[in-house]
Amino acid sequence: MGLLENLFDIQFEPLQNGRLDDAFFFCKGEKLVTVAVHDIDFEGLAALVHYPVFLGSEAFVEVLNLNTMKKSFWIFGTIALALLVDRGGGWFLSKITKESQFRYSRLYNGSEDAAVLFVGNSRGLSFFQPYAEEKTGLRTANLSYNGMPIELASTLVQDYFDRHKAPKVMLMDLSLLDSVRMDNKLAYQFNHYTPFSGRLSKLLRERFSNDFYAGKLSHLYRHNSEVFQRTFFYWKKSDKDWLLDRVISPEMKANVGNQALLRFHYDNKMLGHLAKMVKYAQEKGTKVELVVNPYYPDFVPKIVNLDTLVMDVQRTSGVTVRRYTNAVQESAAFGDFQHVNKVGAKLYIDQLIADGVISSKPN
Amino acid sequence: MIFNSLTFLAFIAIFLPGYFLLKGKARLLWSLAGSYLFYGWWDWRFLSLIFISTLMDYWLGLKIDQAHEDKRRYRMMVFSCTLNLTFLGFFKYFDFFINSFAEMMTSFGINADVGTLGIILPVGISFYTFQSMSYTIDVYRKHLVPERDFIRYATFVAFWPQLVAGPIVRASDFLPQFQKDHEFHWDRVISGTGRVLWGFFKKCVVADSLAPFVDQVFQEPNAFTSINLLIGIVFYSFQIYCDFSGYSDIAIGFARILGYDFNENFKKPYFSQNFSEFWQRWHISLSSWLRDYLYIPLGGNRNGKFSTYKNNMLTMLLGGLWHGANWTFVFWGFLHGMYLVMQRQLGKPFGAVMNGLRFPKALKVTINIAITYFFTCFAWIYFRSSDFGIATDMIVGMTNLDGYSFVSMMNKFWVVKGVLLIGILLTVEISDTKLHWNGLAYRNPAFRIAAFATLLLLIAFFGSFGSGAFIYFQF
Repeated sequence: MGLLENLFDIQFEPLQNGRLDDAFFFCKGEKLVTVAVHDIDFEGLAALVHYPVFLGSEAFVEVLNLNTMKKSFWIFGTIALALLVDRGGGWFLSKITKESQFRYSRLYNGSEDAAVLFVGNSRGLSFFQPYAEEKTGLRTANLSYNGMPIELASTLVQDYFDRHKAPKVMLMDLSLLDSVRMDNKLAYQFNHYTPFSGRLSKLLRERFSNDFYAGKLSHLYRHNSEVFQRTFFYWKKSDKDWLLDRVISPEMKANVGNQALLRFHYDNKMLGHLAKMVKYAQEKGTKVELVVNPYYPDFVPKIVNLDTLVMDVQRTSGVTVRRYTNAVQESAAFGDFQHVNKVGAKLYIDQLIADGVISSKPN
Repeated sequence: MIFNSLTFLAFIAIFLPGYFLLKGKARLLWSLAGSYLFYGWWDWRFLSLIFISTLMDYWLGLKIDQAHEDKRRYRMMVFSCTLNLTFLGFFKYFDFFINSFAEMMTSFGINADVGTLGIILPVGISFYTFQSMSYTIDVYRKHLVPERDFIRYATFVAFWPQLVAGPIVRASDFLPQFQKDHEFHWDRVISGTGRVLWGFFKKCVVADSLAPFVDQVFQEPNAFTSINLLIGIVFYSFQIYCDFSGYSDIAIGFARILGYDFNENFKKPYFSQNFSEFWQRWHISLSSWLRDYLYIPLGGNRNGKFSTYKNNMLTMLLGGLWHGANWTFVFWGFLHGMYLVMQRQLGKPFGAVMNGLRFPKALKVTINIAITYFFTCFAWIYFRSSDFGIATDMIVGMTNLDGYSFVSMMNKFWVVKGVLLIGILLTVEISDTKLHWNGLAYRNPAFRIAAFATLLLLIAFFGSFGSGAFIYFQF
């Protein structure tokens, strides 16, 4: 107390409960006001300091700080508790990831043996699995995700082949080859699958090292993504019917003429990823079908470099591309210009079956 | 440098030990150097701007004090304000007014192809300009003795916690706090850390999680159904609140750790029962600045109804313009001016109707809060929209009652996460009125550990990182 007594030049009197080290002291001129911390919080303290009676005076506040070391323990306690809950929570969420019925959980727990494998971005979701399975009697798997970058698709496809019996056929939508419409940051959302895949870990370490190592530090952070939210959502139910089922609005249809041109932006590196994926599947004995999924009919003229893309893909992969750009003509079968809805997906799958691309006995 | 970056983590790890190890002048220099580094990290060229502004106001503050004639003092003060507002006007509004002038001429059929300068807006210029102006005005009003130590004054202007996005601190409140060295106090560390963590929760978890949905909706409202637009505007109301108040919390928290006290900048604004109350709870440092340095000098509410309305409107219009060089901000200010006028006209009759219907107090409070929130959100549409066309599309889209099907919701995962996080925020804010979380964390170590660990875990599990700067940086 000596220090404070010198500082204030005033004699302190102990509080009734005697806990001088837990009290705030206010000093205004010679008048000393003491408030026990039990009566006031820091917000209240700040409010009091700015209370008119103190404004313009030489008011000041000192907080007693006699037991410094003891007061630092909470930092270690906070860190210890946070780490403990983080590890416990991380373990539980990892268990959910493993057990989930989400497509990538099934991929990594090895329960997704299928005769037909679909790959794509959001347009790949038009490979509507329940209908395809109903019509062909074959099991299907779909690795498509909104904005899927081709590098991630390649990683997932290779992981699929490493963990499952080779499917008879793999269908891949070529709109994967568009760097503008892909979500370049999507891969880091797969952080919660890294404990199950060395290949995925390598990809994240190279592309998103901060997120990868943050995921090592905090296991909860590893599960901080929309992809994990979906993993959680599909914990106990299958995601095979995942398809945004809406009908394109009349306003949108009327506006098709004002839409910007669609140009596929791709480079040799992306073509290389595609070729690698195709080769990996073919080496396992799987037939690869490269397709262009349907677009809204009046939107097709807006696509400017599809021919070049198809030629480049055929040259690099050695696989003939099947164009289904105009396969669906009904406007009510689309959700927007680039995505069919459930009705459109069924029409499209009927066409694929009719063409023998998928059937109970694939070529 | 932004708070939610690894660079800032490194900065604070170096700055804090240095700050507490040094004393006196050395500490002031360390603080100033740290503040300039913090600011210059964004663009070092604009350090010269802040330095010139500091130098001029420092000198003018001394000159005002030395001048004995009132007229001379007044002229000096006006010169200081003009200088500050010229800087602000040039960097923030020059291109805007040139464009507006050209558009106006074009609408009269006159081709006025005046080139703009493509000026880059210096981060935080609106904040430190107002802070600096408060100094010379307070010296002129003799509310403040001018600071003679240049380093101390420069540190006051550039102090990094509040430099780029507030709170706007007053010289009379803040400068005296530099008069002595603040000792390291665990109590301040506890309280400050809690505040910083809560600020990061608001910013990284709530605001940045809501941002993707809001951005998409306001990018092209025509592409979305009514329910998406409605969710978009509700999400935006919480995004901007959490973004801005989160920054204030972090600034207040770090200042507290360093030994300084800033006034509160937000006090649960969406629980306001009317618009006067809203402006006593939202961006308090700006609204009180405008009140003390604009509204009251204009006459405040002293000269009758019409004059009061006029002063209200003028203050809100300029408050709107302060936020940015766009007519949508001015219109946002106009709406709030109108709300204040309407409140004066209709507030009492509306209260009398509710009393006449014998509504219970809780219901009256709820209705008042809901009405205030509704109109606040309506004004946010203009605040967030890049132009009036987007704002109109938003309003028209929302009133199209055909588009409220849940099936057409853009991304249900974003919506569920957003609703959950807003729920957590509101639960904490509502319960805080009874439980006083900050006080509880201060006096109960077990609760403190649990609360701080929970915040850390929530930030790790829900936080959105790398999504960029705080919204108010652009103001």
